[in-house]
Amino acid sequence: MVSVIAVRGLAKHFGRVHALDGLDLDVGEGQIHGFLGPNGSGKSTTTRVLLGLARATSGTVEVFGVDPWREAAALHRRIAYVPGDVSAWPNLSGGETIDFVARLRGVHRHERAYRLERERLMEAFLFDPHKKGRAYSKGNRQKLALIAAFAVPAELYILDEPTSGLDPLMAMVFQHEIARVREGGATVLLSSHILSEVEQLCDVVSIVRAGKVVESGTLADLRHLTRTEVSFAASDASPLASVPDAHDLRVEHGRARFTVDSDRVSSVLPALTALHVEGLRIEPPSLEELFLRHYGDDVAVVDHGGAPRTRREAAAR
Amino acid sequence: MTAFPALLGQRLRRDGVQLVLWTAGTALLASLTYVSVGQAYGTEQSRASILAVVMANPVIMLFRGLPSGAGEGAFMLFLIFPFLALLAALMSSFLAVRHTRGDEEAGRAELVAATRAGRRAPLLATLAHGVLANLVLASLTAVALAATGLAVRGSVVSGLAAGAVGLTFLGVGLVAAQLMRTSSGANSLAVWILMLSFLAAGIGNALGTPSTDLQRIESSWLTWLSPFGWGEQTRPFAEDDVGPIVLCTGFAVLLAAVAVALQSRRDLGASFVPERHGRSEAPATLSSPIGLVARLSRPSIIGWGVGGLVTGILATTLAAVIRDIGADNPALERIMQAIAGGVDMEQGTVVVFFTMLGILAACCAVQTVCRARQEEVHGTAELMLSTPVDRARWLASFMVMAFVGIVVVIGAALVGAAAGLASRNGDWSLLGDVAVTGAGQIAAASVFVVVTAVIFVVAPRLTIPLGWALVLISMVLGLFGPLFGFPDWAVRLSPTGVAPTVTSDGVDVQGLWWLLAAVVAGGALALGLMRRRDLAPAG
Ligand SMILES: Nc1ncnc2c1ncn2[C@@H]1O[C@H](COP(=O)(O)OP(=O)(O)OP(=O)(O)O)[C@@H](O)[C@H]1O
Ligand SMILES: [Mg+2]
Repeated sequence: MVSVIAVRGLAKHFGRVHALDGLDLDVGEGQIHGFLGPNGSGKSTTTRVLLGLARATSGTVEVFGVDPWREAAALHRRIAYVPGDVSAWPNLSGGETIDFVARLRGVHRHERAYRLERERLMEAFLFDPHKKGRAYSKGNRQKLALIAAFAVPAELYILDEPTSGLDPLMAMVFQHEIARVREGGATVLLSSHILSEVEQLCDVVSIVRAGKVVESGTLADLRHLTRTEVSFAASDASPLASVPDAHDLRVEHGRARFTVDSDRVSSVLPALTALHVEGLRIEPPSLEELFLRHYGDDVAVVDHGGAPRTRREAAAR
Repeated sequence: MTAFPALLGQRLRRDGVQLVLWTAGTALLASLTYVSVGQAYGTEQSRASILAVVMANPVIMLFRGLPSGAGEGAFMLFLIFPFLALLAALMSSFLAVRHTRGDEEAGRAELVAATRAGRRAPLLATLAHGVLANLVLASLTAVALAATGLAVRGSVVSGLAAGAVGLTFLGVGLVAAQLMRTSSGANSLAVWILMLSFLAAGIGNALGTPSTDLQRIESSWLTWLSPFGWGEQTRPFAEDDVGPIVLCTGFAVLLAAVAVALQSRRDLGASFVPERHGRSEAPATLSSPIGLVARLSRPSIIGWGVGGLVTGILATTLAAVIRDIGADNPALERIMQAIAGGVDMEQGTVVVFFTMLGILAACCAVQTVCRARQEEVHGTAELMLSTPVDRARWLASFMVMAFVGIVVVIGAALVGAAAGLASRNGDWSLLGDVAVTGAGQIAAASVFVVVTAVIFVVAPRLTIPLGWALVLISMVLGLFGPLFGFPDWAVRLSPTGVAPTVTSDGVDVQGLWWLLAAVVAGGALALGLMRRRDLAPAG
């Protein structure tokens, strides 16, 4: 797979703040790559470095095989960007801002394809181009940035929380646009806090925490990292002894509970059948749970019986 | 009303340093004027003769106060009162807009209005804050005047009169903030009203009736339309009338009541003057970074250009007047000689006015370059730099537009100066001087473009304060340095001070090469360093 973004050991320090601290990231061509992490973990800083708006303190960064800091302007011909905090020029109308950005990205004033695309997007997003920048609501500013990004074709879309402030209907329009550019073979790096959206759109996700990528892989891969919880009606722990691969065995409120590595679920089924268990419940980890493990320091809330948080931690045990 | 003290305290803290500068600056101006009046017009007789000249050339009154006799205090207030009041008025109207519409536009007001403070407390806190600021300004000015040995009563009346004009414009600012949607809109409305009333007071005095001894003017009705006119009618050190102070204060109370009434009739963030709808498609000019910078700076450059035009007209029309005054007044002649350096009075006037013009052009330049910093803080720079626009090219467009601004300001001044000369019945002898000095100031002001740009690249957070401070320092050195007897090398540190001018033996262009070298080196440095600089969005 051709790599569009390749980041190795990226660090970015603002004075004493280590916003990024050895971040690795790989995004292959045609991938829709989810970029997740708690507030302040360094997602926006990473996107700024990828665009050459901020210079890496150390580490190597390549976008389309070149250093974005040195070749920023040339690279930007191939990139569309939606910033994390969208701001518009207060005394330019929305339509003017979209046209201006498009022209900077190389569109000619009377280019037909662009005008049609612009019209289509404005209609789809229900966007009023006449208002002055300062009069737009948060959601409308977001639409402005999205239309500016999608109106001109790009090879790589870097989107920093593109749907924050959008209503559910508009979020659907956004997903539709992502599907469209994916068809066209474009690559997308999508930072988001909306997990259902990530689950629906992304092939691969990376989770950042405190300036490092702590996990990266397809959603199926990530699911396998955590354990599935199994429980059935029982009055004491004696039947559990015969179950292979069971961890964290315990009996609570008349139910026996244990966890099992998600890729080993099928191997416990024969034992359970033999025991003729009743009220069997098998609960795969929800995506939410998966991410919550990485998000907060206080994982106890969601941590059923101390399953390892990551493969690395599992290996360390 | 429990939120009131907290809101007032927050305003005082936020403005602390700024208010100290405004109020102490006003008092300092009063006390410096006393010193220079003492030097230039030491005797009652010299003052009386100046007043007689003023009566003969009423146009001078446009920029001075109301003549009320040749006493030392009265004469001094004639020279300086409008400027003391102007400072109080500017301080007050900016203050009013900053804490009302400014907060509203930035979204801070919403945060506050959602608490127990409600919607009215912030407005009342701003009002109280403005009243306090004007009280401080009035007291400091009174103390500064009394400390020079002038009569206490007159000093107090002078201070209060300036503060009262400030109060009125506090009211004007509060109402403007209710009417307009943005703080820049409200500020320009307030400043327009301020300029018009300043002019109305001056024109009203110029059209007034002189007394038979040519020492005193009875203003025409026009002056009575202007808060500046009211302030002048106190005639400090001559009549010490406090009636007009009451008038100003009463009007301020009325305006404040109007602001409160308007506030209670509108939504937070809404305005009475609706915003015009924008066009849905960008015009052809909006296709490049410089196109955008031009669009953003156009209103301010036009404003500075009008200032340049007026300065140009005054330079040539007042040249003859000043020559006449100088003939009767050796002290004034000395002052002009000091700034302009040994040329005749007419050429000297042109040089002095064009030095001021250089400062005006420098202000325009600094403001335009500072826009780059505003764009960076606001986040719009990030949007623009995520397109195929190079960082250095982005900065360069602000620098180029700043240079265009300078040329516009000085070009407008040259047109104004030519118009002034045209009114002199075919006497074009000053044209050469005007052209040389004007061109010299283009070079001087350009230095500020590159200096501000270098600050922006090296220490982004200092761009705005340091950029403006340097203009101020340069003005003090270049314009007043010779007057206050600063050493020559200090004066020549200021670009305005080394700009080529006319001297008694021709044109002195030696400074030009220094200025050009500084512009080229500074420009290259700024753009070169910009290539290696991060975007620094945080304020
Ligand atoms: N210009 C700056 N100066 C100082 N610190 C900064 C700067 N920019 C970012 N930081 C810090 O770097 C860290 C990472 O910030 P970043 O904006 O990248 O987080 P994020 O993952 O995008 O968060 P969010 O989900 O809230 O958008 C934070 O601690 C932030 O305070
Ligand atoms: Mg962010």
